[in-house]
Amino acid sequence: MLKVTLRGLLAHKVRLIATAVAVVLGVAFMAGTQVLTSSISASFDKVFSDVYASIDVVVRSTNEIETPFGSQRTRISDSVLPAVEAVPGVDAAEGQVVGQIRVLGRDNKPLVRTQGPPNFALNWLTEPALNGWTIVEGAPPAGPDQIVLDVKTSKDGDFAIGDTVSVAVSTGVNTYRLVGIARFGRLDTWGGAPAALFDTTTAQALVGEPGTYNWVSIAGDDGISQTELTDRVAAAIPADTEAITGKDFTAESQDAFQKIIGIFNTFLLVFALIALFVGSFIIYNTFSIIVAQRTRELALLRALGASRRQVLGSVMLEAFTVGVIASAVGVGLGVLLAIGLNALMQSIGFSGPDTPIVVPASAVISSVLVGTLITLASAVLPARRAATIAPMAAMRDVATESRGLSRRRIIGGAVLLVGGAASLWFGLFGNSDSGLQLVGLGAFLVFMGFTVIGPVIAPPMARALGAPLARFGGVSGRIARENAMRNPRRTATTASALMIGVGLVGFIAVTAQSLKVSTVEAINTSVTAQYVVNTDGFGSTALPISLVGQITALPEVSTAAGISATFANIEGDARVIIATQPAAFEKVVAITDVEGSFAGLDTNGIAIPKTMAKDKKLAVGDSLAVNFLHGGPSSLVIESIYDTKFPIQGPGYFISDELFAQVTPPDQQTVQSIYIDLTDTSAAGVAEARVPLDAVTSAVPGAELQSLKEFTKAQTDQANQFLVIVYVLLALALVIAIVGVINTLLLSVYERTRELGLLRAVGMSRRQVRSSIRTESVIISLIGTLIGLGIGLVFGWALVKALYDQGITSFAVPWVQLIVIVALAALAGIGAALYPAWRASRLDVLQAISSE
Amino acid sequence: MTATQNPPPPPATSTAAARTVDACKVYGAGDTLVNALDHVTVEFERGRFTAIMGPSGSGKSTLMHCVAGLDTLTSGQIFIGDTDLSSLNERQLTRLRRDTIGFVFQSFNLVPTLTAAENITLPMDLAGTAPDAAWIDTIVSTVNLGDRLKHRPSELSGGQQQRVAVARALASRPSIVFADEPTGNLDSRSGGEILQFMRTAVDRFQQSIVMVTHDPVAASYADRVVFLADGRIVDEILQPTAEAVLERQLRFGN
Repeated sequence: MLKVTLRGLLAHKVRLIATAVAVVLGVAFMAGTQVLTSSISASFDKVFSDVYASIDVVVRSTNEIETPFGSQRTRISDSVLPAVEAVPGVDAAEGQVVGQIRVLGRDNKPLVRTQGPPNFALNWLTEPALNGWTIVEGAPPAGPDQIVLDVKTSKDGDFAIGDTVSVAVSTGVNTYRLVGIARFGRLDTWGGAPAALFDTTTAQALVGEPGTYNWVSIAGDDGISQTELTDRVAAAIPADTEAITGKDFTAESQDAFQKIIGIFNTFLLVFALIALFVGSFIIYNTFSIIVAQRTRELALLRALGASRRQVLGSVMLEAFTVGVIASAVGVGLGVLLAIGLNALMQSIGFSGPDTPIVVPASAVISSVLVGTLITLASAVLPARRAATIAPMAAMRDVATESRGLSRRRIIGGAVLLVGGAASLWFGLFGNSDSGLQLVGLGAFLVFMGFTVIGPVIAPPMARALGAPLARFGGVSGRIARENAMRNPRRTATTASALMIGVGLVGFIAVTAQSLKVSTVEAINTSVTAQYVVNTDGFGSTALPISLVGQITALPEVSTAAGISATFANIEGDARVIIATQPAAFEKVVAITDVEGSFAGLDTNGIAIPKTMAKDKKLAVGDSLAVNFLHGGPSSLVIESIYDTKFPIQGPGYFISDELFAQVTPPDQQTVQSIYIDLTDTSAAGVAEARVPLDAVTSAVPGAELQSLKEFTKAQTDQANQFLVIVYVLLALALVIAIVGVINTLLLSVYERTRELGLLRAVGMSRRQVRSSIRTESVIISLIGTLIGLGIGLVFGWALVKALYDQGITSFAVPWVQLIVIVALAALAGIGAALYPAWRASRLDVLQAISSE
Repeated sequence: MTATQNPPPPPATSTAAARTVDACKVYGAGDTLVNALDHVTVEFERGRFTAIMGPSGSGKSTLMHCVAGLDTLTSGQIFIGDTDLSSLNERQLTRLRRDTIGFVFQSFNLVPTLTAAENITLPMDLAGTAPDAAWIDTIVSTVNLGDRLKHRPSELSGGQQQRVAVARALASRPSIVFADEPTGNLDSRSGGEILQFMRTAVDRFQQSIVMVTHDPVAASYADRVVFLADGRIVDEILQPTAEAVLERQLRFGN
């Protein structure tokens, strides 16, 4: 039986190519993702261990807040240093100052893009045991006007010793004299991130506070272990500080980074699995068709005494072989893909210094396993069908798939659809913790439901879609339509593969459009300002607070209000808090007081949105426990419950700018955006105000002046960028689906050799043959696309309804985009038919009509 | 078909629906060289029913395929009416098959996705021309298919399928019909019916028909039987009877 299987494999290797391609692509995506993220992760592990290599013990504050950008801690006072230095076994101890700045190029624009790694400001450590930097040229920084740059920054900015270097910080732009160029170990940067170095006092003034450090690094004497030294240091430091080993400190940074990479990895893996899911339809279809075409051969085997189990085993073994080989090839391709992407990322600066490609065994094993299992699972049904072929079938003449459109199929499909819809509904509206998983399961069930029910709905759809083609396409159009209908299961499965990809694209398009329309609507109905100043920086690299005053001082400006953001623990959870000048803010953004007064927020108060007050049953006068990193009150009174359509980042906590100034360190006292209301709001007045506004903002690096219209566009453009990435990732699933269409057409052409021969003999031209196959392909593609878009619309509608409270208030359908998708699907259908149609038109007529 | 044919057709061709001049077809080379057609010159008269007979491998199918424009000669010429097939390209050959030739094959004559009626008008539909409704009615009633027109081939018996095939072959009023063992897969009664229809088409509509067969009874429906052996015309009988054909076959040893 093994011999039969292997012979079989060789005999229809061409037919298995599509299966292999589907598996190879999916597995390559999956393996490539894992290899890439592992490599990046390994590279950054090395960066962190390099950067912190000389540190044996770290002393830092115990007060921390988890933010999306990693955990933030309170700075510690330099008074801890003498105590630490006195601990026996401590060789050297020095405070580290770390912050973010933007070194400006000669064009006064930041050298580092915000999408890239952060641009660090560090203090120059004087202890050789702790300082990883070496001066390549010039001297270490000493004095308030001196700066040292890493090799890369000095090269990028074309700076030489003695040059003046401008640096944007939270308070504005400072200038320094370049006194040295330094290298970190063997690296040109601080482990991938560009850095500028100052003497400790200057660094503290610039990105910290006088007399404080982010942490204290300690190097131990030879012969003392990190744990031992840590224990000793811990006994000597104040209560609100802690000592941890250098190893743990490094591991923490590595973990934090790996968490981010992990999210990225999961995000990509979801798309890999979608691709493999789509691939499973191709595999199922190929094996179904092969089994149908081999009915007589398999029946003969059964007649000769092969057991059902042996026939089943034979098909499964075939699937296993294809699965393993294709998965192995896929892993190889995935590694190549990762190498390519890694090189690409390195070339755009997003990666560590020397990123070796790491191929983790787990990536190889999981990819091969998933690829093989999916192939096997997809082949189970066809294999079972093969096993149930009666030996008598060997004597019968025709070998086509049965047309089992049983009631069971309709019921089964309906059950899956209802189950999927229910799961989707509970996931979206059920307030369940596993909402996302339920939505995913719902989508899976709906797709499966349509696949099961597909053979029932495909023929009427083909008839309807083919009607105009049959009418105007003449007999070849009619034949194409009939061919699309003649094997409902095959057509449905092929279309289903496309349905999934298109369904997801449609879903995302509808959701994004609704989000866009809602955002535009929210901004238009709530923002009464005419101009907005925005920045792509955050925290210490955002806009200086002084800019608000400068703008307000302009005669054209009636009111200007800035928005700042900070993090704090509220009732134990890390939250974003927005700070503003409440009275001014009310004049640029429509805010309704539901209870209390928003404009009256004082330094003890906090404002919360109406929805939160309702959900958490909070009222004005209640107090919330808060913990700001840098001091301030430990509880705030709810002074305002407000309502607004303005799209606010985060949950919607507002505090006054006076309180903000108390609870954030100076380097974090910045504004994210400024909303400007003019005195003269006529069109001419608005146009004229641009010049003076521009004069003020263009002096601030990173500041961007936008009219309300431009601001709205910028907000929606951000979503567009993300959309493009998602579409690109979904493209693979679509490509695999197209491979499926090609495959089905090729197998059908092969099966219809005699029929095509007959048609050619009685006078069908090659062109008509090609047109017929193309039309069939377009019909199949359109079936998948239309069902997919239908699903996408319904899913999108459900999600939009579920997200009403999050600010997606309008359901909008991007009709133009959807029509483009349909047109593209038709084009893809034509493209998929190119080769099969060419094959069909090149059939040797004589051979075709005389073939058995 | 066109006025600028070269070389100009000899006058004798006016009575031939199709003819070959010194037709040769060679397969393979060297030791495996086979002369499927060895300098065959033959005419198939207009309005007559010609049967081609011969043992397996005699070249009778090759001859028919070449004359019908499905295969090409190694050397020599073939004319359908006044048209020299060797002067036609693929597209023109296809058009010729569609417009001037009718086909009946041994089996798998019909497109399974089309109804009987659609199969009958298939060549005209492919050409994009309107079928002559009266003529189609005449044929359909001749082959006795009236109540079967809406059926798909899978719902028809073998005999009915061949009748549809004959109807299709006649439907576009081709200048010649080629039939390749049209009764080979049928029982004798159905086969007899098919042959009778073809006979009727010749007698009533002056249709030219060329049929390949190895059944003496089938050949007896023809006006003339041409015998092939080893790629050559070796004999012919006019107004054949089954007995005469059988006797001739036995003489040639097959």
